[in-house]
Amino acid sequence: MPTAFPLPSDLSPATVSNTASLLRIVALALISGAAIASRLFAVINFESIIHEFDPWFNYRATRVLAAKGFYEFWNWFDPTAWYPLGRVVGGTVYPGLMATSGVIYNLLHALNLPVDIRNICVMLAPGFSALTAWATYMFTKEMKDESAGLLAAAFIGIVPGYISRSVAGSYDNEAIAIFLLMFTFYCWIKALKLGSALFGTLAAVFYFYMVAAWGGYVFITNMIPLHGLVLILMGRFTSRLYVAYSSWYVIGTLSSMQVPFVGFQPVSTSEHMAALGVFGLLQLVAFTQLVRSHVSSKQFQDLLLIAVVTTGLLGAAAFVGLTYAQKIAPWTGRFYSLWDTGYAKKHIPIIASVSEHQPTAWPSFFMDLQFLIFLFPAGVVLCFHQLRDEHIFVIIYAVMASYFAGVMVRLMLTLTPVVCVASAVAFSSLLDTYLDAAEPEEEVAEASGTAGTPAVASKKSKKAAPQAEAGNAFTDIVAAAASAKKGDSPKVKAIYGLDTRLAIIVNALGMLAFFVFHCTWATSNAYSSPSVVLASTNQDGSQHIIDDFREAYYWLRQNTPETAVVMSWWDYGYQIAGMADRPTLVDNNTWNNTHIATVGKAMSSSEEVAYPILRKHDVDYVLVIFGGLLGYSGDDINKFLWMVRIAQGVWPEEIQEPNYFTPQGEYRVDDKASRAMRESLMYKMSYYRFAELFGGGPATDRVRNQQVPKVGPTLDYLDEAYTTENWIVRIYEVRKEDLLGRDLKSANAFAKGKKRKRSKPLSRRRALL
Amino acid sequence: MLLRRCAVSLLSFTLLAPTRADSFENTAVVRTIELGGSLVHVTTTFAAKALEAGSKVYTVALGDVEKQRTSWLEAKVKGQSKPLPVLDRVADSTNGIRLVDITLPQTLGLNATVNIVLETIQTHATYPWPERASQQEDQALKYETDLFVLSPYHTAIQRTKIRSPSPSIHSYTTPKKLEDFTLDTPVTKSGATVTYGPYNGIAASANEEFISKHQQPVVIHYNYEYPVAEVPKLKRSAEISHWGANLNIQDEIHLRNAGPALKGHFSRLEHQTQAFYKRSAAHVIPGITLHLPPGIRNTYYYDLIGNVSTSRLRAVPSVPKNAQTNQYSVLELKPRYPIMGGWNYSFTLGWDAPLADSASWDKTTGKYIVRVPVFTSIPATVVNEAEITIILPEGATNVEFATPFPPVSSSMLTHTTYLDTIGRPAIVLHFKDLTERHALPIFVSYVVPLSAHLKKPMAVAMAFFSVFAFALVTRRIDLRIHKK
Repeated sequence: MPTAFPLPSDLSPATVSNTASLLRIVALALISGAAIASRLFAVINFESIIHEFDPWFNYRATRVLAAKGFYEFWNWFDPTAWYPLGRVVGGTVYPGLMATSGVIYNLLHALNLPVDIRNICVMLAPGFSALTAWATYMFTKEMKDESAGLLAAAFIGIVPGYISRSVAGSYDNEAIAIFLLMFTFYCWIKALKLGSALFGTLAAVFYFYMVAAWGGYVFITNMIPLHGLVLILMGRFTSRLYVAYSSWYVIGTLSSMQVPFVGFQPVSTSEHMAALGVFGLLQLVAFTQLVRSHVSSKQFQDLLLIAVVTTGLLGAAAFVGLTYAQKIAPWTGRFYSLWDTGYAKKHIPIIASVSEHQPTAWPSFFMDLQFLIFLFPAGVVLCFHQLRDEHIFVIIYAVMASYFAGVMVRLMLTLTPVVCVASAVAFSSLLDTYLDAAEPEEEVAEASGTAGTPAVASKKSKKAAPQAEAGNAFTDIVAAAASAKKGDSPKVKAIYGLDTRLAIIVNALGMLAFFVFHCTWATSNAYSSPSVVLASTNQDGSQHIIDDFREAYYWLRQNTPETAVVMSWWDYGYQIAGMADRPTLVDNNTWNNTHIATVGKAMSSSEEVAYPILRKHDVDYVLVIFGGLLGYSGDDINKFLWMVRIAQGVWPEEIQEPNYFTPQGEYRVDDKASRAMRESLMYKMSYYRFAELFGGGPATDRVRNQQVPKVGPTLDYLDEAYTTENWIVRIYEVRKEDLLGRDLKSANAFAKGKKRKRSKPLSRRRALL
Repeated sequence: MLLRRCAVSLLSFTLLAPTRADSFENTAVVRTIELGGSLVHVTTTFAAKALEAGSKVYTVALGDVEKQRTSWLEAKVKGQSKPLPVLDRVADSTNGIRLVDITLPQTLGLNATVNIVLETIQTHATYPWPERASQQEDQALKYETDLFVLSPYHTAIQRTKIRSPSPSIHSYTTPKKLEDFTLDTPVTKSGATVTYGPYNGIAASANEEFISKHQQPVVIHYNYEYPVAEVPKLKRSAEISHWGANLNIQDEIHLRNAGPALKGHFSRLEHQTQAFYKRSAAHVIPGITLHLPPGIRNTYYYDLIGNVSTSRLRAVPSVPKNAQTNQYSVLELKPRYPIMGGWNYSFTLGWDAPLADSASWDKTTGKYIVRVPVFTSIPATVVNEAEITIILPEGATNVEFATPFPPVSSSMLTHTTYLDTIGRPAIVLHFKDLTERHALPIFVSYVVPLSAHLKKPMAVAMAFFSVFAFALVTRRIDLRIHKK
């Protein structure tokens, strides 16, 4: 057989397979290394620090777990959160993440390796990303072969869509959840292929781990039943499906109910009903199969019809009935917002106010996936080509995840693995086709060729022929497309020579290289900022760290009494609890809308109205974020409208959003700002003495590019307690009631030596008359 | 086997004869008090004349308050640099007077004279007055002391000079009823110095009778233009590693501004205005500068919530041992926030230093001797409590140590870290009221046999070996139920 390039012929199959397996291990090790290394930008550029907001809570909980043990953590009631309500932490968290870190921590300490718990938390996500790469390799191997698996592992290792959630320091549930997701899917596919109860149980165990780790487990809960349902509808019911699904569902559901936060949800909420329904359906179908093998075909058809209709009706009726009877909880608000993107804004502003719950903008698909996004459909099409059971899974997964990723930014994360898998399948098919050295036999070409020099002619024509022995899906498609265009060509269609191969391979490698560059760039620039620490550059080009948040939190921690209650908008709740170690009113676990609305009301109403609220909640300090001096746009004035909206949801008579706009409908902070705006506590605290900083010159708010009034707001009920170096965090102390029983406003006026206005002009006028 | 020695050779001489008032006479006593913030330096010069032949022990007396405040005490013969051996007389301190015996370098003949310089450092001797100051106000401190220098001997002439760092002295006490000792004005002020005395013909004063009759307090209220810093708690751990040839030192420092507490609240605007016009308030600690040893690397500075990026280090390379250089790595630390009066700031500072710079090996005895400083002095700052932990290499035996001054308490424990199997011996020492003069080295000597050196590589090798052996065995065991 002719080849395009010489191939070694004296290798024994054992040598080839051994070498291939060694190369695979080396490649996987390198991919793991690359996956971990590319997530370390944040540590190298900044430091080993926990990022953002939610990770601070996870970190704090992990510290409790590491210090006091698992049972203490399980029963942990945190009186400092949601003051004065408190929070039952053990029963309201997904403990998988903390437990993982705790196990690693205890293991290392048992080996006398005193690694700090913070470093374990910081490095957990990169470590698990290496495992994700391995799990994706295993999964893709089931789809196509090892080479596709390696490509998929490499893709998921460095793709920004996954890195965005798993850089070092991003200590969040997603850090371990994607590994669990992929590994559960792998076990499911394996169980389905082999009909193995062992792999079904493994899938259930990892499903349980996933339930314990991330609320996104619902995705698995619905993906696997959906796959099962589609297989049944396609008439692909087998006993393998029955074994795999039943073992997964029974063990998985029972074990998932052991997580306190999940509890009885798997049998009582709508999100979990699909899994139960498919489980029931499988039993029916299996029973039907059994009956069919025992009765005649005519009887069976009648029996089947009646049985299917009645059970279907009964099942649906039972579901509706139980929902109405409130035995089954209806869909939650978060779930509705997946179908109607405007739902959250109308009904649950807290959910809508979170930036990662917004619909995805299209450039972010390219930003997060780069060239994978256009290889992805090709991979899905290739799946249709073979359409084995596992390919159906990938197709369903691709469709569902694409929809969800379009609805919510954060769900891009669930799309990323399937994009990597499908792209890897496509890419590896391409490489398989063009790296294959086989060329058609000369005689065949001569026999079919009509021109004088057939080899040259066919080389020039560059057409692929339907090769029986290639059996490659990609080749088939190319061939099909070619033959559709040209009709029945007598020439043998194949890839001839080195130049054609090189042209494609070099281009493909170029795409890979650009992908690596893009991933590195996106990771280092967009996804590696801890957001607790801001970076800027000095005039000489060196890095300057703006550390105002920690400055303020550390000040609170060191110089205020330990019981001082700090009020701030809920975004900063976890950070205050984690870094300042002080009780907070509200935090990022937004479970109590009224409490958050109370804070929103206090922030958006005038001092006189807010003061009783503050005093009733024992607030000692109020913390606001103000970016006007530095141009930090994520500050509280920019978030202010959400506070107003959330407060309005609870007190529509007292707080109205339109009052905070100018009559022209603009959101202003300068002279033209509306009265409600100017009198609100938030505005006053943000701009208190801000204009004085400019020494009489125009005081410009650099975020909103507006000039604030020269005479700034005055505060009667609060005292400025601390302002950070760049004025980003401002802390105010709430005054205690006046000892002489005056209201604080007049007491303040008296202290400043202002005369009290005479308050009896009416009576004097009457005397004149 | 633990053997304690003290570097200050507290000669245990049995010559504890009660001081006789007639063995010496003070021809002149001059006390100079250098006022400061946390630390007050007191230098007292005794010009003594022996009244009997063979006098060798001279006794000085410290009053009740002075006794509590004094954290450093050193006696020298004037003009000589070698400190004289001193011994606290514990037995005689019931009446609130502390007597300290100073052993002179040689026996004095009759009427021979000697000038003894007694240098002490007092801590917690000043307090802010007024107790609260706003951001714009100045800082003023009060210092209180006794008028007379106590002595078990008759004193011919005595004076006390109090030097303030700035000439703005708000007030000072004018002592009364001094007709017995002087006919001039009892106190004079010139510039930044307030002088009490000279007072003549003071009888032996280290007794209750004199104190109740003549001793009186003197208070001086003065402006102080530097922040008063205090370290309530310092924890140092020094870890010696022979494999890494490294001495790691880590300090956990709790810093406090002991100046007047901030009145009202902190205003960033005013702070920035003052910084802009370079008129920073006296009682703000904007940062501290530390002199770390030369040759250090991997310096780290963090606090409870992470790295503090606002510091600068100018490291210098190691200097050869016994070289007479005054080279330091200078570290400029800036806390996260300016420390106003009464504010706290706690942080951790650590570095690695080459072990060769501070360790040596004695060939004859096979012992290592390592020098670990008690603490890194923070200028003009007192350390109230210090806990020094010296962690020796795993398997070190025959541990002995010598402290430059006696610790409050000392103990040994086993510290287990980094792949240890039996743990490392550690020495824990507690000290209190440390001043810049206390930054002296502790010497530790120990023996590490070769087997102890090899313990860790062996343990790790064994662990890996057993993992491989386990894998080897499990690969070869068939656990299948259905054999194919």
